[in-house]
Amino acid sequence: MQPAVKQPGDQGAGDASQTANSGLRTLFLTPTAALLLALLGAPLAIVLAYTFRTRGTYGGVTAPWTLENWQRLADSLYAGILFNSFAVAAVSTAICLLLGFPLALFISRAGRRRGLYLHLVILPFWTSFLVRTYAWMFLLRDTGLINTVLFKLGLISQPLPLLYNYGAVLLGLVYTYLPFMVLPVYATLERMDRTLLEAAADLGARPLQVLWRVVLPLSKPGLWAGSILVFIPCLGAFLIPDLLGGGKTILVGTLVQNQFTASRDWPFGSALSMALMGVVLLLMLPLTRKSASL
Amino acid sequence: MSEAKKEKMNRRTLLLGVAGAAACGGRRLRLNVLNWSVYIPPEVLRQFERESGIHLRYSVYESNEEMLARVMSGNSGWDVVFPTHYYVQPMREMGLLARLDTRRLKHLDNLEASFSRPVWDSQLEWCIPYMWGATGILYNDRLAPAPTGWSDLWLDRYQGRFTMLDDPVEVFGAALKTLGRPWNGQSESDLRAAKVQALRQKPLLRAYMNAEVRDQVVSGDVAAAQLWATTAQQAIDAAPHLRFAYPKEGFGLYADNAAVLRESRRLDLALRFIDFLLRADVNASIVRGCRTATANGAARVLLGTELNALPTLYPAQETLARGEWMATPTVGLQRLRDRLWTELKSA
Repeated sequence: MQPAVKQPGDQGAGDASQTANSGLRTLFLTPTAALLLALLGAPLAIVLAYTFRTRGTYGGVTAPWTLENWQRLADSLYAGILFNSFAVAAVSTAICLLLGFPLALFISRAGRRRGLYLHLVILPFWTSFLVRTYAWMFLLRDTGLINTVLFKLGLISQPLPLLYNYGAVLLGLVYTYLPFMVLPVYATLERMDRTLLEAAADLGARPLQVLWRVVLPLSKPGLWAGSILVFIPCLGAFLIPDLLGGGKTILVGTLVQNQFTASRDWPFGSALSMALMGVVLLLMLPLTRKSASL
Repeated sequence: MSEAKKEKMNRRTLLLGVAGAAACGGRRLRLNVLNWSVYIPPEVLRQFERESGIHLRYSVYESNEEMLARVMSGNSGWDVVFPTHYYVQPMREMGLLARLDTRRLKHLDNLEASFSRPVWDSQLEWCIPYMWGATGILYNDRLAPAPTGWSDLWLDRYQGRFTMLDDPVEVFGAALKTLGRPWNGQSESDLRAAKVQALRQKPLLRAYMNAEVRDQVVSGDVAAAQLWATTAQQAIDAAPHLRFAYPKEGFGLYADNAAVLRESRRLDLALRFIDFLLRADVNASIVRGCRTATANGAARVLLGTELNALPTLYPAQETLARGEWMATPTVGLQRLRDRLWTELKSA
């Protein structure tokens, strides 16, 4: 399986050129590394420091240093919210997988139209994410397009409650993050060695068997990458759950946001977001290793 | 010095001069104003710039918390902000506000009597009342029977067709009123009772939403909504079949005030701006443009009959008597309130 996805030149040539390469690599990587360190590392360090401070009365942080913010995380209320958020993110990722893989497969086989279809997948990004979410609200609400059409057709007598529930939140998340699944999966399918499929067919595998035993395993790196790209933003989402869920549920993204606005509890908000980040990193560690080795 | 070098020098001097002139242009009098969104019509801002020659840098915020987060550093660059009355005391305690020399405000007398000695700043040392409002119920007149109090929003007759504000102070305040307790009830027992009461309401309501509910009441998706009078007026302007009820049990009142940040080095310009806003004609055009309730009595006299057509913004005195100025949340109970709110939301 290895050679199928390996890029030529990955291994480097001789020893000499490798040392020269590493000097050059350092040179090229330094600005990015410095930028990341300054713009990502430093703020993260500040957030981490905040988690050990005491809340200021009206926001901000004050002395003394404390572990209380971390202890509060053990509270079943917050643990429950965290669990719910993971569940919502996992379900969204699963739906994206189910929808994204066939779509990516279809596009990769679409011949001349591939470019067109890819553009259609990316097209939503040309509009603001907020505007698109509001557009969904216009579609789903009682006097929205879907209910109006169904009513005019005589299929319903009462508007369907499409907005402000769990389903609407899932719909919004899947809709928004589906392209993040399709694109990496498409990339692996695109690079797949077609002769392997022919070989499988020659050896007597039926199309579904080829799909299940050859295509699917070969597209694993894309599926992992896509899942990570969908899962993480779903976990931190707060706008979609708020706008499409009607504020009747609370997910960890909203909880963190609340700590920095209405609740004015920056240290606890910092602890929540650091904990979230930690859990995600722990979960992703084996996955990223896996996808790197594939 | 050679001719060539001299010429180079001259060119450099010229360039420096140009840069300097540009800088001077930027250094003409400027004032930085941070205000709630839709609170001064753009043409009124232009008028101030024209009349005073002061250039305004104007930006808006959507919540007190947002404003506070932006100015808390004490080094934000803003001069004038508009905190809600219950944020004036906290901002004073944080040392964020500058003391105002009211003798410099020629039009201070324009303030309505009830706002010239407000409970949150009786000597007007720190802020000048600007606009005010109340939380009530916006509803569709086809709704039968029409809601008259908060307790109507606890009955199943409007099930799934009404919304509450997405804010613990507003939801718990209304809940307390249905229990016959004060809107500002802040004891632990008040807060816990409010949460239990709100929990009873949650299955009945459609969503917790703030100002964005306006469009859905206009379109008819939502039949009734807990909302601020100003936002309600904007909805009524768009859809005359909407009505606003000042709940019979009582309701919360709020006032936004002009204040100057202590960090400001433009106190003089800031006072000129605030005095401009106090002018009756200016204040009247703000009310016309933004449809808010003003604290300016002289402007109200100017608007006269126009305002009588706006009972949502300017209710009768006996109605207003049921209102309670929202109190600054008790610091010690803030955490309990947050927790109860989170419990309500995740239930």
